[in-house]
Amino acid sequence: MKLGVFVNEFKTVVETVDRLTAEKLGLIFIQNGVFHATIKENGKSSPLLDKTANFYVLAEDLATRGLTDADVDNRVKVVNYGDVVDLIFNDYEKIVWL
Amino acid sequence: MGTLTIAPFASLVGSKSMDFALKLAKTAADKGHKVNIWLTSNGVMIVKANQKHLKDYSHAEKYVKELLEKGVEVCVCEACALARGIHKNEAIEGIKWDAMHWYLAKIYNSDRVIHMGGE
Repeated sequence: MKLGVFVNEFKTVVETVDRLTAEKLGLIFIQNGVFHATIKENGKSSPLLDKTANFYVLAEDLATRGLTDADVDNRVKVVNYGDVVDLIFNDYEKIVWL
Repeated sequence: MGTLTIAPFASLVGSKSMDFALKLAKTAADKGHKVNIWLTSNGVMIVKANQKHLKDYSHAEKYVKELLEKGVEVCVCEACALARGIHKNEAIEGIKWDAMHWYLAKIYNSDRVIHMGGE
């Protein structure tokens, strides 16, 4: 199954994501979830980025938090709302909201 | 094109999820997809008419009306609304009032479903 997961909080959700098995996994960082794509704690990036998955971050939610593309980890693709709609319909069959 | 059903449980401002749901619905509708929105739990609060649009403050009425004009079906859980003292005669015109079976039927007939948790 191709699973798209909206991560909308920064608190660690690693355990939950660990329990998700999918043929193809996409983590879409929105709202405060965008910090998974930008923040380093003690020099280390978010453990979520160590998952075998495709990573996306919503440009608008980066901007409202004063972040830019330059702040984003290079494993993460910056997307807009139109891209998110396309991901939902074309790339992932089931959608999960964490 | 496909059909997308979104069910935001969160209230306005509380967790920004409602903002995201409304913007995603608009984008999907603009791309030609059929979109349904099921408002339940604290999400029902956005059906009240005459919301004042304050600068830099989440606002829903304008977006809901815009979505209705685009043909998005917006339905509110009647039980959740009444439980919060929200009645049909003070709601935004064009919003359907129904029960959980509306949502289940939409889920069954949708290509994608996003069930957004509450606060």
